Amino acid sequence: MPPKDQSAVGSLTPLSPAVFHILLSLGEGERHGYALKREIALRTGGKLNLGPGVLYGSINKMLELGLIEESDDRPDPHLDDERRRYYRITPYGRKVAQAEAARMRELVRLAGVRFGVPKHA
Amino acid sequence: MPDAPFSLRLYQRLLKLYPAGFRENYAELLEREFRDELNESNGTAALAILWIRLIADLAISVPSQFAREVTQDARHALRLWARHPWHTGFAILALAIGIGANTGVFSVVNALLLRSLPFHDPERVVYLRYFFTPHDSAAQFHEWRRQSTYLADTALFEQFDANLGGAGEWRRAHVVQASSNFFSVLGAQPVLGRGFAPGEDVDGTGWGPPGPNAVAVIGYGLWQELFAGDQKAVGSTIRVDGNPLTIIGVAPPGFDYPGKTVLWKPAAFSPGNNGWETVARLKPGITWPQALAAFAIEADRLWPNRTALQRIKYPSTITELRDELAGPAKKGSLVLMACVVLILLIACTNVANLLMARTADRATELSIRSALGASRARISQQLLTECVLLSLAACAAGLFIAFWTTSIAAAFQPAALASQAYSILDGRVLCFTIAASVVSGLLFGVLPSLYANRVHTFRTRGSTANRSSRLIREALVAAQVMLTIVLLATSISVGRAFLDLMHVDRGFERTGLVTVNVSLEGTTHEGDSRRLAYFEEALARIRRLPGVRSASATECLPIYATSFMGGRFGMDGGPADENSMVNPVFPDYFRTMGGRILRGREFTEEELQSEARVAIVNELFASEFGSPADTVGRQVTTGNNPVWRIIGVVKGMDYMTEGANSPQIFVPSHSPGGFFSTFVARVNGRTEDRLAMIRDAIQSVDPQVPVFGVKTMEQRLFDALARPRFYRTAVLCFAAFALLLAVIGIYGIVSYTVAQRTHELGVRMALGTTPAHLRVSLLRQGLLPIAAGAIPGIAGAVLSGRLLESLVDGAKSVNVTTYAASVLFIALIAAIGIWVATRPIARLDIAEILRTG
Repeated sequence: MPPKDQSAVGSLTPLSPAVFHILLSLGEGERHGYALKREIALRTGGKLNLGPGVLYGSINKMLELGLIEESDDRPDPHLDDERRRYYRITPYGRKVAQAEAARMRELVRLAGVRFGVPKHA
Repeated sequence: MPDAPFSLRLYQRLLKLYPAGFRENYAELLEREFRDELNESNGTAALAILWIRLIADLAISVPSQFAREVTQDARHALRLWARHPWHTGFAILALAIGIGANTGVFSVVNALLLRSLPFHDPERVVYLRYFFTPHDSAAQFHEWRRQSTYLADTALFEQFDANLGGAGEWRRAHVVQASSNFFSVLGAQPVLGRGFAPGEDVDGTGWGPPGPNAVAVIGYGLWQELFAGDQKAVGSTIRVDGNPLTIIGVAPPGFDYPGKTVLWKPAAFSPGNNGWETVARLKPGITWPQALAAFAIEADRLWPNRTALQRIKYPSTITELRDELAGPAKKGSLVLMACVVLILLIACTNVANLLMARTADRATELSIRSALGASRARISQQLLTECVLLSLAACAAGLFIAFWTTSIAAAFQPAALASQAYSILDGRVLCFTIAASVVSGLLFGVLPSLYANRVHTFRTRGSTANRSSRLIREALVAAQVMLTIVLLATSISVGRAFLDLMHVDRGFERTGLVTVNVSLEGTTHEGDSRRLAYFEEALARIRRLPGVRSASATECLPIYATSFMGGRFGMDGGPADENSMVNPVFPDYFRTMGGRILRGREFTEEELQSEARVAIVNELFASEFGSPADTVGRQVTTGNNPVWRIIGVVKGMDYMTEGANSPQIFVPSHSPGGFFSTFVARVNGRTEDRLAMIRDAIQSVDPQVPVFGVKTMEQRLFDALARPRFYRTAVLCFAAFALLLAVIGIYGIVSYTVAQRTHELGVRMALGTTPAHLRVSLLRQGLLPIAAGAIPGIAGAVLSGRLLESLVDGAKSVNVTTYAASVLFIALIAAIGIWVATRPIARLDIAEILRTG
């Protein structure tokens, strides 16, 4: 079983962009793989376009780490496709995402102090 | 989308690149993703972009998933190993010795038989034996070589030892005089200066006339040593046996043909010199059969009227130079290679046996994993990772052993190939090591994998699976026993051949004999009378030393001398069938050497001083002309001219050199101090303790005379037999190691059986069977695989014995008694192992077993 204590939360950061984006998407609700991929591409303006191997490789790793889990529930029965697998974020995954966000916020703050904040970021 | 089915099929195939675990979980999802993306890709350009992205995705994700699963499996394997450190350590050690010994011996085979010589196009360079090219004058030789129909060019060379450097700073070195085209025939270019020019080889005797002939090419090592690599070496003078030679070039690094030569000079041709050897380069386009046919015709033309006996004793041959150089080491190395391959096979069967036992132990774990959804491929992948990991660990350890083996082999292999250093840091050798590791990994990994698949199929730890596992392991033990018998018989055969070699009657007594070499070439003692005076004085001083029983000297010491004077001599005008060797010796030579005088007597001091025309012949020479008993008083003749009067007949001495164990004629030494001049002294007490004393006595006559080779005769024999002794020791070690592996294998299987059957054994003891009875029953079962392995083992040993007879000089197939003794020996050692392994039975707690059962 993966370690889930507070110290382990910190040890997982920094997260790879793919993992953080998957957590971000699942923070809103359950998704299947393809939906995750499309949402991430949309959010990043196509800059992060995950291929199937990298996407499911990341999902595999996140399942093993206990950041996400498979879900048996289907959010909308009309749109459901039984052959797809749905994933949802775990409380541990939420904590790790929070830790990553805090780390990033601290980085942004530090960059602001050093370089100033541009008016049109 | 006309390409959709093709694209899909292609992607499905590419998905197989993923490791088993990932594939099982995600292949379906990945395929579905692909379908979705495919549906959205309209047009050829979109399809192309999709494929580019997919290939990039595969390139990133496949290695990372592999690394992930292999790391998981490796961690799992390491945890398992940590639980059985002895098993693991033994498996790695067994394989490491197998792989290491194979790599070491292969590096020798590689250097001897596979790697190229440091010559241009070396496979076209040939060595011609018993082929007498015209060589009375330079012009005669060059005219002959130019008219050959099958040889592009031919070179002659003569090799000998000489004193290099000035008085007091001399060193003994191997030098060569060669025809001017020597370097061009071999295809070697000097790295500095030039090779010999046409016309530099001339007619003359000894060191040849001064002028164009007094030049030399020196070896790369000598250049570094004497001139520290200075380019000004070219043009400077070097003295060889006192003769000044101008250095004209430096040979390339690694070039020291023939046999550690450090200096080459142009030949001086003189009629009657029989010391020439011949190398040649085949004409382009001439095939090997064509060359053989043309050579046979020419050999007959150059040596007409050869008798049948001469054809058998001195067959003219043309061989690739590499084969000629490898010589006896080639066959010996092949025998060693076969032995180490057997060792590796035994090690593999042993490790397979261990892994089988462990896989059987893990049947429950594998069944559970299988029930939880792990596929056959996933479990096999895990077992394969374990095997590969084990192989790699053994491979790394094996390289250390190979390094060690290689340095031992380098010490015992022939000097002719000194430029061919044995190294494991060679592409071919390292490829061999990796291949040996992979093949052995597959060999010992395949059975446990197959067994794991059975477990998977049955999804249970059934008694059938157990029984089949035991059968496989017993078959493996039988295979080990079979291979061990072959190795044991081989070692006995090689060992006996060596013992025969040690105890052969060489015609002299090797113990209590001190030998010291001197060379008067280039010293102030030139000239017959001065040479003789020097030797007389040195002998007088040796004889005065305490502990010296007798002393003498010879121009050709057995074992040491490699070239000889000789000629066709007869008796009382009767012609001889073959050449006789002529060896000048001093009075007391046979008494000192421990030789046997069969008739007559030795030379006297007066005969030596008065240059009396007397000779002592060996039994072989005498028997060619009648009874040795009637030989004394007859004349040694050339044609009808008497040369020497025979005053004694002796038992011949074994020179261990080709051509020297022929008829021998000993004459008084009027002009000593040549190439192989040696003082011999028979001493009391410990021979080694007398060496320094005798050396000092000789040096005290004239400190400027080079004195070297201060050794006991036993040391010389020891050195001469180094290679056969090395083979014997190596093969014995291999046999002992094979036996050890086999016994450990048998011990392992029996102790495992005892552990597995504890409950059953406990019940049987509760029902009244005694522990001793149970142990005897297990002993019987344990000996069964040995009996099963013995039959094919003996068959294999008989076959290998026949092969050995052709490969190792003096090796004879072992007889039936020895086979039987080998099998009994293995059975006895195994029986002890089994008895020890069944010891826990006596300590079984029946009450505990029945309660927990």
